[in-house]
Order: sequence, then structure tokens, then C-alpha cells
Amino acid sequence: MARPKGWPMRWLHRKRALWRTKATARDTGSVLLSQRRVYILPTRAGLGFCALLLVLLVGSINYSLGLGFGLTFVAGACALVDMVQTTRNLAGLVLSPGRAPDVFAGEDAPFELRVENPTRLPRYAVWIDFEHEREPRQAVDVTAGGSTTLVLRTPTRTRGWMRPPRVRLSTRFPLGLFRAWSWWQPDSRALVYPFPEQDAPPLPMTGRPSPDGVGSTGSDDFAGVRSYQPGDPMRYLAWRQIARLDPALGGQLVTKHFEGGTVDELVLDFDALPPRLDEELRLARMARWVLEAEQRALPYAFRLGRIRYDSALGAAHQAACLRALALYGLPEGTA
Amino acid sequence: MTPLSRDKQDTLLLIASSLLVLVPHAAHLPPWVSLLCGATLAWRAGVTLLGRRMPSNVILVPIAAAAMFGVLHSYHTLLGRDAGVAMLVLLVAFKMLEMHARRDLFVVVFLCYFLVLTNFFYSQTIPTALLMLVSLVALLATQLSFQLTGAVPPLRTRLWMGAKLLGLALPLAGAAFVLFPRVEGPLWGMPDDAHSARSGLSDTMSPGQMSNLAQSEDVAFRVKFDGAPPPQPQLYWRGPVLGSYDGRTWTRIRPSRHVRPQPLSLSVGGKPLGYQVTLEPSNTRWLFALEMPRALPAVPGHDVALSGELEIQTLAPIAERVRYDLVSYVHYNLQPEASPVDGQWLTLPYGINPRARAEGQATANEPDPARRVAAVLREFSQGGFVYTLQPPLLPGPDAVDDFLYGTRAGFCEHYAGAFVFLMRAAGVPARVVTGYQGGDLNPLDGYLTVRQSDAHAWAEVWLPRQGWVRVDPTAAVAPERVRRSLARALPAPAPFGLEGLGRLLQPDPDSLLGRIRYMFGAVNNGWNQWVLNYTPQRQQNLVQRLQEGLSHWQSLALIGMLCLVLFLVRKFSLRQKTDPADALYSVLCQRLGQLGLPRAPDEGPTAYASRIEARSFADAGLTPEQSAAATEFLRRYSAYRYGPQSPGTGLLSTLRDLLSRVR
Repeated sequence: MARPKGWPMRWLHRKRALWRTKATARDTGSVLLSQRRVYILPTRAGLGFCALLLVLLVGSINYSLGLGFGLTFVAGACALVDMVQTTRNLAGLVLSPGRAPDVFAGEDAPFELRVENPTRLPRYAVWIDFEHEREPRQAVDVTAGGSTTLVLRTPTRTRGWMRPPRVRLSTRFPLGLFRAWSWWQPDSRALVYPFPEQDAPPLPMTGRPSPDGVGSTGSDDFAGVRSYQPGDPMRYLAWRQIARLDPALGGQLVTKHFEGGTVDELVLDFDALPPRLDEELRLARMARWVLEAEQRALPYAFRLGRIRYDSALGAAHQAACLRALALYGLPEGTA
Repeated sequence: MTPLSRDKQDTLLLIASSLLVLVPHAAHLPPWVSLLCGATLAWRAGVTLLGRRMPSNVILVPIAAAAMFGVLHSYHTLLGRDAGVAMLVLLVAFKMLEMHARRDLFVVVFLCYFLVLTNFFYSQTIPTALLMLVSLVALLATQLSFQLTGAVPPLRTRLWMGAKLLGLALPLAGAAFVLFPRVEGPLWGMPDDAHSARSGLSDTMSPGQMSNLAQSEDVAFRVKFDGAPPPQPQLYWRGPVLGSYDGRTWTRIRPSRHVRPQPLSLSVGGKPLGYQVTLEPSNTRWLFALEMPRALPAVPGHDVALSGELEIQTLAPIAERVRYDLVSYVHYNLQPEASPVDGQWLTLPYGINPRARAEGQATANEPDPARRVAAVLREFSQGGFVYTLQPPLLPGPDAVDDFLYGTRAGFCEHYAGAFVFLMRAAGVPARVVTGYQGGDLNPLDGYLTVRQSDAHAWAEVWLPRQGWVRVDPTAAVAPERVRRSLARALPAPAPFGLEGLGRLLQPDPDSLLGRIRYMFGAVNNGWNQWVLNYTPQRQQNLVQRLQEGLSHWQSLALIGMLCLVLFLVRKFSLRQKTDPADALYSVLCQRLGQLGLPRAPDEGPTAYASRIEARSFADAGLTPEQSAAATEFLRRYSAYRYGPQSPGTGLLSTLRDLLSRVR
């Protein structure tokens, strides 16, 4: 006897469990919002419309208005059609994650999202934002067979890999009587560098003492040119090379590059930092120094635990160093 | 002119669609309400176009209060139906000036929906229904425009979207209309002004009254006979029976408390005629029946009573369209035995119409009452009488004399009145019967339409052994009136003095115009029967018939077939969308996959071909011939899909051929 009584509850339970896993499951790659993933509920206006229908019906009955019944049923049917169309405005969209550039902790991490509409139905007014945002900040329209890319930003706090929060897509189009929504966990991640320390001590010039003082680059042996970086002194610009190609035509500013000489070896060594400092603070200081060295175009070696990079300069070097700082101490493959 | 911003466009669209809803109300609102409403909307439009600020509540509240006072002044109430509608109309207009958030938009739109409904209090014709659909499209487009965020399709597209939404909703609404359980209204007491006066037959008859009515083309009722309708001359729809004359007006004889009503004795013969009457609301209590009905009709929501003169009445005025079934006999004997009581059917006012009275008394020399009747009728038909809708006025005190010996031109009311006067003077009990005669049979739907213009008055005389016998003196003057219809009996009117135009407007059933008229009539009647008067009873009948129809295996089979066809069409149309070459390709891949050579998701046909070639088809148990076919297939498919030139004809058949060889 208990079985027939219990089965609806069990069924409900199972459904809810399924729903939960589905709602929280991570989607890999691009994902198709199937009809089953789209949830729908009436909005406040929809409830108001329901009340209106009731009023229309009662009025029609009371005054025996044949046409009034017609109006009531047409309006009701419009609401039902609206429900279907609202669902269909979301269902069938294909979502895929885009680029997620590296950021420093404390900045907003931008996540690129691509919304594709492979159907023949143009989509209007699809609101997209991370789940935690109360009011979605962006709305997109996707033409039939078209696609659009948008960037959602979310604040970062801690270094390391960062997964974007769950994205919520919602729409009330066409009539606003229903709100359909769906969740999507984009399968992308952004690398968050440690926050560069403010007011960090000056770059640690270790190694051989230099007669020229601290912090100057070698200028003895001309070793070629490299691309200009902000902070390069004017006198090092390779004017002859620059003159050959107008920057407006795609030419680049280039800087003469020197090697050797009396340059101090600039080594950014994590272990050399006072151990009494907080680990995160030390990482923050390292990050600041990396940025500063890059800015001043001082080649720097980098030591962090087992990671040892030789003295170098440039975007790739900087990225490698910052990446090492971001992932320091974190287990492999943490998200 | 610079394009307007989206906000402004949306607001103007909202104003336009609310205007569409408000305009029909202008027909029954006091002019000042319409004017105020128009001014308010114009104000709102101006605010939008010029980018001004909305008026503050300091200005709005006094205006709204004044408008409220105006409504109270115009209708002497704020509660009635009409006053309520006026307030609602003003509310919508004022709300426009007080719109701030999206919520307010919904308020305005929803109020508009309700205003569409209130318009049905006043009109429920087909044009009203069409206007309703147009308004709905506008309202839907408005609602939809406010939901848009970035891209805004042009107005035409948005209207089309609204129309499409409505189009999708209509079948559903139709099903709900037919099947939604109907409740008989009203749910509570209706306001007093729920039904305004309508024209119809009254229970008195004075000169000019009938001829006025005869100029109205309004429908009095419609009749659907179970079998073939009887010929036109038999279609006498009995209404009020008038017996008391004051020299000018014929009125009903009030049942006297001192006189016991005579027991009704009625014997009928001949074939019974079954029919259904759909009576338009008349605000009177009369029900019309063909001659002698077998039993009182059942009218939902009304109590029906029968008077001593065989008039059928309801206790309350009929304010809605009602439908009732009747069975009537055209051959009958009504009260043949007893002579009518108290001579109340013989009394005449003293001192008027001396000539007519004298003539009547002279006729009384003839002992057989039937011959007296025939003599008077003969005089009517041979005395140079004219049947006309515009009779000369008879203002004098001796109206019957003036008519009989002076003008000799009159309408049915004159003939019936004069005839009864003469008969009473000749000592034959007589009375005037009013009602309708004839009707316009629509060959398209078999409905007989009886209009106010078919209103007629005739006489009944009591003859020994026969009882009350119908006599139509008009028929003696203008036989066509009874044989065909009123419109044919009268000379064709000549609008703008053009005879031909008048003949063109005549409802000749064989002309194109006549047929169009009948078509409109049939559509209109179907509208009344199925939309406006779709009662619970009718719904029950329909559902029952549907159930019966569905229980036959043939209809079930038909529905099954239809579903199958729809399914196939859908499947076929879905398949059509994919390239047939692609379809063949996926079949091949599936086949090779079964043989242990699955295609990787990121692999193109060429890469696939080279990979499986390298892995020797023989491993998969394919003959060299089969593998050659597979490779060739992939090569050709790749060339078709990615090659620069268009494929030659016969690619598909080649591919199919290769595929069959792989199998």
C-alpha cells in the first residue's frame, strides 16, 4: 500500500536530484541549451495578466458577452503562446567560452562568451550575466544563424586559476509575462596573478657591486635591437631602424640592446625575501618587482622554489614569471 | 527629421494602440469625455515628441478629480456600467501622463484589454470583432516592443510578430471557446443601465407606428425550421392581440378581475411544424410563434406564460438574445364552441366614425357572419385602396372614416384597424393581432430572417363553429404583401430620383447583390448563433455530437491518418534541410564505425580516408573492392564538400552506388 502512495514523492525526489546535478554540472566546450535546460516561471506582470484574464472571464459570464469570451480566450491563448515563445527564445542557443585573459588579483576578470544561434529564429533580448548579479547587466540579440560575443566581468580576489561563476541567461521576450532562464557553467579559466604590492621596496640589486651604481643596464656592447618598451631611455632608441619604416605603416619603435658591461645581475629570488613576511606578501612583492623590472627594461632572473628562469626581458618572460607566482604553492591543475 | 529615440517610439506606439482601443468608445461616451481623453493623449504625445517633462501630480490630481466630478454629473452615479466605462477610459488616458516604470506600462496595456471588453457592452458585431483583433495585434506589438533591448526591428516587423503570435493563439482560443465550460450569467445583479432600449413591436397600435417600424431593417428574430419552411402566406407570427379602441389607439384588453377567463379550447390539425426561434433582445416581454403552438416554449432564464388570447409572454423583459424551440400548427380551431365573453370584442367608442359605423350596421343585415366578412374584404380589394408606407396623415377625430372614405391610402395598421371597426359595427366579434408576417429565407443557411420591417397587423374574427379565424385585410388590398414580402409589395424607392438605383438596391434573391446580401446575412446569423449566443445548452449539444462523431472508428482512423501524415511531413521537411550528400556521408561513417573504423570527431573525409587506408581495410573484414568503394566515396564527397567547382550531375547516385557497394 505504501508504494503507490510513495511513488510520486520518490519520483519528485529523483527528479530534484537529477535537476540539481544538471544545474550544477560543468559544461565542457560549447553547449546547446536544450529545451530541457530552460526553466520558466511567470513574472509579476504574468501573474497580473492571469488576474486580468479572470476579470475578463467573470465580466464575460456576468454580462453574457459572447465576444467577451472570445477576447478572454484569445488573450489567454496569447499568454500560452508567449510562454512557448519565451522558452524558444532561449532554447537552441549554442554557448561556448571564449578567451579569458590573465589579470591581477583585485581587478575584474573578463570572460569572453560566445552565443551562437544556429536556428532560423532570431533571438531578441537575451539577458546574460553571472549568477550572483542580481540584475543582469548585458542583453544581446542574436540574428538567425548568427552569433555574438560578449565579455562578462567578475571581480577577483585570490591568485591562481579562476573559474568563471555560473552564467545565467534569461529572457522575457516577447510579452514579458514569463521569464525563461537557464544556467551555464562555461568551461574556461583565467589566471589570476598575485596583486602587485603597493609601495614595494626598490628592486633588489644583488650580485657583483657595480661601479656605475645600481640599476643601470649595460651599455658597453651593442647586441642588436629589440622592440621598444615603455621606459626605454630616449637615447637608446635605434633611430636609424625606426626611420626605415614609418610606424604609421606598421613599423615599430625599436631600442638598441646592449649586453655585458657593468650591469648588475638583477635576481628576483623568492627565498631571499625575509621569511618573516607573509607568503602572499612576498608573492605580491615579487609581482611588483617583475612589473617594475619590465617597465624599466632591466633584464631579471627569476627564482621561485624550484623554478629558475635566467635573466631575460619581454612579455613572454614576464608572463612566465607572473604565472609561476600565481600558481606558487597551489596543487597542480587546481581550478 | 531625426529618427526618434527608442523610448519615444515605444511611447508613441503605446499611445497609438490605446487610441485604437479608446476610439470605439467615443460612440457612446459623453462628448466631453472623448475630448478630454483626446486632449490628454495629445498632451502625452507632445511631451514625448518635444522631450518635455511629464506634468507633476499637482496638476494631474485636480484634473482627475474634476473629471471624476464630471462623470458623476453626467451619469448621476459613479457605479453604473456606463459611468464605470467612462471612468476607465479617463483612467487610461491619465495613466499615460503618469507612466514612470515598466510596471506602469503593463498597467496601461492591461487596462486597454479590459476596455476592449467593455466595448462589447455596446457592440458585438463582426466588425467589432475584427477591430478587437487589430487592437490586440497593436497591443501585443507594443508589449513586445517594450521588451526589446538592443536591436529593434522596424515597426512593420514588430506588428507582424504580434500578428503571428495572435495567429498562433487563435486556434487554441477557438478550441477553448468551444470547449471551455460555460456558466450561465449573470453572477450577480446587473447595474440598471445594463440594457438600453431597443426598437420592437409595442403592445399598442396607433397610426404611423407600424409604418415607422417597417422602415427599420433591424432583425426581430430568426427562425430555423426542422423541415422545409411553409410558404410565405402562412408565415403569420402572432404577437400582442389588441381589442380595445379609443378612436386613435388600439390597446390590449387588460384581464378583468370580474370576468373569469374563458377556458381555452383549441383543436389542431394538419402537420406539425417544428422550428427554433432566435429572438433578438427587444426589451419587451413578447415571444413570437407561428400561429398556434402546441406547447409553451422553454426559454432559459425566463418564466413563460400564455394569455387568454394565446399570446406568449415572459415575466421579465428579454434583454438578451434568447433561443427557443416550438412546434406549431397552421390548421386549428380556437374556441369554436363558446361565444366570446361579455361582448368585449364588440365594443366601440361612441360618437366617432359615424359613416363607418353606419356601414357596418348596414352589413349586419346579412345573417351569415362569414359573408359579412367577405363583403367588407371585397370592398377593400375593389374600392381603389392603396397600400403605402407613407400614408397621408389622419389627424381628425374620425380617423377610420377619413381613411375609408377619404384618403384610401394606408398601411397594414390602417386596414386592420378599419376592418375590425367595421366588423364590430356589423356585430362580428373581432380583434387586431399584431406581429410579423413573412420573413426572408436565406437559401445559404436555411435561416428565415424576420425583420422589424416585417411587422404586420391583421385581424381575427370569431365565427360560429369555426372560432377565431384569421383575416388579413391588407392581403385584400395588396396580395403581394403577404405572398412575397413587404419590400416587393411597395413601389421601389428611387434614391436621388433614380429608379434604376432603387431597383438595384432591392433585395432580388437572384441578383449578385442579393446573393451577397444573403451571404452577409448567413455569416451574421452564424455569428449570432455560434459566437454571441453560445449557451451551455448549445455547448452540451456540440460536445455530445463531437463525442458521437469521435466514437466512430472511421473518424478515429481519419485522425490517426492525419497525425501520421503530419508526422511524415515534418520528418520529411526536417530531412530535406540536411544535404543529401551529408546524409549519405553519415551513413557511410556509421557503417565504417560498426566495422571498427570510427571517424574521429575532428577528422575530415580526406584525413579519414587516408587513415583507414593506412590501417588496411582488410583488418575490418572488408574486401578490396569494398575498401576501394569506400575510399572513392570519401574522395568524391570531399571534392564535393570542399572543392572549388560545383559538383557534376549524378553525384548523389554515384555516392549511393558506392555506398551500396560498401554494404
